[in-house]
Amino acid sequence: MKCFLIAVLIVGGMAVATAAADLDEVVARGELVWAADQEGGGPHVFPDPANPRQLTGFEVDLAALLAEELGVKPRFQQGQWDRLPLLLGRTADCVINGIELTPERQRDNHCSRPYFAYSLQLIARRDGPIDALGKLAATGPKGRWRVGVLTGSAAESVMRSRTDLEVDVIGYDGTIDSLEQLSTGVLDAAVMDDCIFTFYADRFSRLRTVERPFAGGFYTILTARDTPRLSAAIDAALGRLIADGRLKALYDRWDLAGRQQMLLLRDAGEVPIARQKSLGELCRDTLPLLIRAAGMTVLLSCLSFPLAVGIGLAVAVGRMYGPPLLKPLLTGYVEVLRGTPLMLQLYAIFFLLPKIGLALPALVAAIVALALNYSAYESEIYRAGLKAVPPGQFEASLSLGLSKWQALRHVLVPQAVRIVMPPVTSDFIALFKDTSVCSAITVVELTKRYSVLALSTGRIVELAVVTALLYLCMSWPLAMLSRWFEQRLERPAAGHGLTEG
Amino acid sequence: MITVSSLTKSRAHVRVLEDVSLAGAEGTVTALVGPSGSGKSTLLRCLNGLETFDSGGITVGGHRLTPGSHAPALLERLRCDVGMVFQQFNLFAHLSAVNNVALAPRVVLGLSSADARARGLDLLDRVGLRSFADARPATLSGGQQQRVAIARALAMRPRVMLFDEPTSALDPAMTAEVLEVIVELARDGQTMVVVTHDHAFAKRAASHVVELAAGRIARQGPPADVL
Ligand SMILES: Nc1ncnc2c1ncn2[C@@H]1O[C@H](COP(=O)(O)OP(=O)(O)OP(=O)(O)O)[C@@H](O)[C@H]1O
Ligand SMILES: [Mg+2]
Repeated sequence: MKCFLIAVLIVGGMAVATAAADLDEVVARGELVWAADQEGGGPHVFPDPANPRQLTGFEVDLAALLAEELGVKPRFQQGQWDRLPLLLGRTADCVINGIELTPERQRDNHCSRPYFAYSLQLIARRDGPIDALGKLAATGPKGRWRVGVLTGSAAESVMRSRTDLEVDVIGYDGTIDSLEQLSTGVLDAAVMDDCIFTFYADRFSRLRTVERPFAGGFYTILTARDTPRLSAAIDAALGRLIADGRLKALYDRWDLAGRQQMLLLRDAGEVPIARQKSLGELCRDTLPLLIRAAGMTVLLSCLSFPLAVGIGLAVAVGRMYGPPLLKPLLTGYVEVLRGTPLMLQLYAIFFLLPKIGLALPALVAAIVALALNYSAYESEIYRAGLKAVPPGQFEASLSLGLSKWQALRHVLVPQAVRIVMPPVTSDFIALFKDTSVCSAITVVELTKRYSVLALSTGRIVELAVVTALLYLCMSWPLAMLSRWFEQRLERPAAGHGLTEG
Repeated sequence: MITVSSLTKSRAHVRVLEDVSLAGAEGTVTALVGPSGSGKSTLLRCLNGLETFDSGGITVGGHRLTPGSHAPALLERLRCDVGMVFQQFNLFAHLSAVNNVALAPRVVLGLSSADARARGLDLLDRVGLRSFADARPATLSGGQQQRVAIARALAMRPRVMLFDEPTSALDPAMTAEVLEVIVELARDGQTMVVVTHDHAFAKRAASHVVELAAGRIARQGPPADVL
């Protein structure tokens, strides 16, 4: 119950965010909503390892400084890194998340003056053959070198444009996925912003920096094109922070340059071993967050599935007994929803509907998308169920003077519902797990929370077990509940039939 | 009570009924006999509008059916006055015996749940199944199911009852118990049309026998003459 309340509160918070707010609205609201992906990780924005409930990172500090300059409070909005710009004008005023300044981004959004200079660093295994960028110019013993990058990052576009190198560039969704893959030998090298590797280097003792960084650029803050006063205010604020040394003080606090120095020294000598948290500490720190996220998962499935069943049943009845004109429409509905990925439908509802003036809060969009998608499958199940009811049942109902709709309501549908109980139950459990795609539109549910925490703590396996147990703890009672329901339906309807009363 | 005049019906270019005319007065029992495929079920189903026909006319229980499709509202009114009992019983599998009987009075006639149940229990009593009121159809024997089906059709207090081979799915013992109920109804003056292969039963219960052959009336008259 508590999870539910918390989930509702989170949702309430999301729903408040307004669209395309320029400076005056931001000031009136008293909040600057800045978007970032905490899964993107350190040192930009990440859950504080000491207290995972708290976000930290140099961009968290920067957002706080900027908000202060604008005379408002900062508020964080979670989003998926490569799609953060889509949140502008929807649920966020600006994006602050290691966004590299590129001509394409300048074309699509307003880019602030730079606030950070990054460099691209080549990283390889200590015991591997890559000890210089030049090594990549000739094919290795196994053919072209495999190099990992973050999808959508400057590292990716730079590496893809380097036709002089014999490399296959492989994009990953998580910043340090490529480091994992490099450690295990799947990749030959990785390229990323120097500050990221500096931050995570301790965790990858088998990896080292190769030579000095070979390219670089600037991070910029994105704002929507139609909020010129907000963009100007952010530029001016950055200017002041740079001029009066407050930005330098911020970076001094994070000491990114100093850390990089230490990394280079480390690579030249012994490998230090970082102390890991005990399992108990890990659970104490992460379990409340995971449980809260599990509440969101339950909320999503328990709200969307009844809708899916209702719509699905209506569609099935319409296709079988409705007016002839309706049938092709409903068939189209089912085929379109079944024939396109749920992810795509989520994006369409969350990102495209606002373009025709129908902006739904993320949670509502997620529930609508899940309900619509699953309604197509449920309608097929109910259609099969209705077909499985012997035709004599319909004739017997009609011969008693029942209308077609009365026969459906009192005789056919109640029997079909019983027949399809098992497949509907298993669909419920499937939907329950499918809720994880909703993280793509900023809804933080269990799987998303897991990947954020796994990344920030590095305890991928332990947390996976905890998360899997949480899923089981939820789906098990669901299965029991539907089995109980199934058995209850097996018995003759007491009193006056199932659908009455 | 029942008038069929010059009824014809084709299905997929095959004449299933050809110039069928018959009449059944109030309180009479008409037995429909004839070889398999001769059109007995089709004729019976035309009588309550489950099938349409091509030409001719039907008047049943004060309702008039014309060739071609029928208006749903007319059918719903007609079927309140014309009950039907099927060879395969067709009891509502998800409802108990008494709810099978009470459903239509409640849903169609608008009786309260209590009144509908009372009517259901009365009728189950009449077919000797009161103690099975809360049993599910699947747990009843064939003969018991058919008696519940008869009670269900009677619940609408129809002016005419149609039976399509009510006992052909039953063994002899169960056949006897169902026929007993039908004979009882005949004695009470219920107007009925019964499709049957059982000549002994037709002789015993029917006041009029119609014999169909290949969609035409071969003979009709009192049981003693036709059978
Ligand atoms: N659904 C249908 N589609 C096409 N033809 C049908 C259909 N039902 C019945 N017929 C045909 O209509 C004719 C009359 O069938 P009907 O069922 O009325 O005969 P019946 O006298 O009731 O036979 P039985 O004693 O076997 O029940 C038969 O030739 C049969 O093949
Ligand atoms: Mg027949």
